Amino acid sequence: MARYIGGRVIQLVVICFFISIVAFLLVHLLPGDPTYTILGPNDTAQARAELLRQLGLDKSLPAQYWTWIGNVFHGNLGISFLTHQTVSNAVGEAFPIDLELIIVSQAMAFIVAIPLALVAALRPNRLFDRIATTSTYALLAVPTFVVAVILVLVVAVKIHIFPATGYNPLSQGIGPNLKSVLLPSISLAVGSVAIYYRLLRADMIATLQEDFITMARAKGLSTPYILLRHALRPSSFALLAGAGLSIGSLFTGAFVVEILFQLPGIGFQIIQAINARDYLVVQGMALVVAIAYVVINFGVDILFTFLDPRVRRA
Amino acid sequence: MAAPTGTGTRGCGAPAPVEMARNGHNGTTRGGNVADSADRYDRRTFLRQGATSAAGLALAGAGAPVLLSACGASSPTTTSSATTTPGVSRATPRVGGSMIIGVSSEIDGFLPAQSHFDATGLTYANAVFDTLTSVAADGSVRPHLAASVTPNADMTTWTLTLRPKVEFHDGSPLTADVVLQNFHALKTSPLTAQAVTPISSVTTSGDLTVIYTCTEPLVAFPAYLTTQVGYVIALSQLDKNDSQVPVGTGPFKYVSWEPNDHFTVERNPSYWRAGLPYLDTITFKPIVSDQSREASLRSGTVDLMVSHDPGVIRDLQHDPSFQQVTDLHSSVGQPDMDFICLNVVAEPLSDLTVRQALAYATDPAEIVKLFGDNVLVPNTSLFPPGSVYRAADNGYPSFDLAKAKQLVAKAAPAHGGSLDISLVDITDPRQGLIIQALQSMWQAAGFKVSLNQIEQVTYIDNLVGGQFQAAADEMFSAPDPDLNYVWLSPTTANPPIALNFARNKDPRIEAALQQGRTHSDPAARIEAYQNVDKYLAEDLPYLWFSQAPWSVTGSTTVMNFANPVLPDGTRGLGFAGGVFTPAQIWTKA
Repeated sequence: MARYIGGRVIQLVVICFFISIVAFLLVHLLPGDPTYTILGPNDTAQARAELLRQLGLDKSLPAQYWTWIGNVFHGNLGISFLTHQTVSNAVGEAFPIDLELIIVSQAMAFIVAIPLALVAALRPNRLFDRIATTSTYALLAVPTFVVAVILVLVVAVKIHIFPATGYNPLSQGIGPNLKSVLLPSISLAVGSVAIYYRLLRADMIATLQEDFITMARAKGLSTPYILLRHALRPSSFALLAGAGLSIGSLFTGAFVVEILFQLPGIGFQIIQAINARDYLVVQGMALVVAIAYVVINFGVDILFTFLDPRVRRA
Repeated sequence: MAAPTGTGTRGCGAPAPVEMARNGHNGTTRGGNVADSADRYDRRTFLRQGATSAAGLALAGAGAPVLLSACGASSPTTTSSATTTPGVSRATPRVGGSMIIGVSSEIDGFLPAQSHFDATGLTYANAVFDTLTSVAADGSVRPHLAASVTPNADMTTWTLTLRPKVEFHDGSPLTADVVLQNFHALKTSPLTAQAVTPISSVTTSGDLTVIYTCTEPLVAFPAYLTTQVGYVIALSQLDKNDSQVPVGTGPFKYVSWEPNDHFTVERNPSYWRAGLPYLDTITFKPIVSDQSREASLRSGTVDLMVSHDPGVIRDLQHDPSFQQVTDLHSSVGQPDMDFICLNVVAEPLSDLTVRQALAYATDPAEIVKLFGDNVLVPNTSLFPPGSVYRAADNGYPSFDLAKAKQLVAKAAPAHGGSLDISLVDITDPRQGLIIQALQSMWQAAGFKVSLNQIEQVTYIDNLVGGQFQAAADEMFSAPDPDLNYVWLSPTTANPPIALNFARNKDPRIEAALQQGRTHSDPAARIEAYQNVDKYLAEDLPYLWFSQAPWSVTGSTTVMNFANPVLPDGTRGLGFAGGVFTPAQIWTKA
């Protein structure tokens, strides 16, 4: 077990190293002089000198990387040339928003998808299964932004229950905070429900045909007990793998919802920064998102070792 | 600004100012809750992004060669009766409360010399800073932080006297030296240096007097001080070059700014205008999408919002739940225009016949019909209908497809037999549809048209650097035509950075612009700018469509959002170009 985790940690470090190189090279891959490209019309001698100092562009590439990665480890990701805010601050303000959106939306998705999948798998191809499967097909086909727009029009504009835009941090109270993230979370959860339902249902149907399930039934165990204690765990590998990928991609993939609901999360900030050529922000955010992505999937891999002894022994 | 009547001292018993023609159009109520702004000007476009930074500001201002003087800072006059004019209330204001305002963009800082103040930036600035002068509803320029602004006989020297006992938020006093230091920052900044180029030197005399010396008569000088270069910040902010925390003399003080999320201000209890502001706090929420902003207003998430989208303006204008003010039909000041900018030094557009063919092939009425949402109206002039500067007949070509085809046939052989045009625009869905319609029109006349939509910063860079043939654009709003000098003058059409994007070098235009800049005689100025309009219609560096309106819409509990009263008691410019002043807004309990 420890050996497995150790190996995965080494893999994680290597992946993060390569990610850091790609993020570092982002600025250097800009056409022409990166200082001009970054500064654009704001290219004054003072700003240029400051940027050169920040980026260490007068040094060799390895030396520049060394300086940059050293700054990263000290939490210095540079300064936004748009807002003059430190990139670390921008990340620090944006990251919790995504984190909360992801936690709330994925919790919703799991709460809806798992019971649906369990019940549907119990009697495949029967009425409930068909309704649930067809409905989730429909949910998969509906783009997130359509769900978001409908929710805004109905719940915010017509009924006035939730705000149409904006984010209230937890510091303003749990009520206002949840009100501000509920609609965007539902928008994000809809797609995830469909995916999680389908992954779990398929595995659950296969699991319920295993001998150990027949044995459990023969022993007279109740159906809910069999489903939750015997069938769910071995059926959840695909679900977990899918959740790892889905959650990781939501860090940037939620940008459409963030724009519609005006939530200044990572995806929103990256889009704004790209449009404004605020490359240091793009670089910093890209680095953080990529690392978050691999760390989440690393966490999923570790979770596998607890769920499946075969992984530990492999 | 369109033609201000120089009643610059009205209400103060000061000497009569130089009189200028104007078309002061006060707000009128249309439908239920819609009013056209009485005061139309827009200082937005030039500062929109960095592209313009190297060369100067589209300085709003009144341009009236007026003597400005103040009788002292008076409080807004109120009566006990309310009116139903949107954005205007004469009821007794309620002091206190808070408000959330949805704005259309985020800014890059609070340094007037370095930050790009678009409509949002100017509105933010109006909350925390004050300008030295302000534009009144009738288009004239009035004192604000300045107590008076007085020219010498030939208007090459302007003497500005500050109000006494005005303090910044940090408690430091407003003095002539502070204004001087602010000017030095403007003069040395690439963003603002060209805007103050006509001012050769600034000196102080005593604690409250600043003397500006200009290189030539500068009739519109007071108007310059109504704009971004007219804001005065405290030395504590200036010396630290701090773009994050504004320290001004304004009605509200900084509380917090989280870019792309909110900007929150609170009442300045020591504000130099007694009784103001009315609100305790204001939170500005940048909401980029007009539709999301509209949804936020309808859901009560925001109390007030600005919009530049004709569809959103239309949706809200007849809704009795809201009150809306637009600047569409106001002729005070020069509004933004929607047009196609043609690079007249790029092949094949360097050929006047080709430009004429494009003009004849373009149908502004059809564009407005398709995309104007019953809000826009066609306009084929630099100036809006009703403006005194608009020539009665500027000679701009009317849509004539047969004529366009003839001209294409005539011009094509000189350009290899085919007239290929690349039309560029920003990455906006609505703009995408508009340029597709143009492509269709131009191809019907025989052009080969390719379309390209690029992000805004690159778009502006390309215009400044001349890397385009035809570009869908929107600009020219200003309270005085002189403030469009940098966009139109042949002197700014040279590489590498040309603010005259079209690169049109007509010496007649330069002569007319100089006449407008240096002559205080209203008739001479009117003649000058009417000639500019005519010469542009001949040279065709721009293919005009329509005005580009702004609106501000509030719930019915938001009062007086387009009705500022200036320190001298006159009515100020309420709303124009997405910019308003929040000091005198209040809310019903």
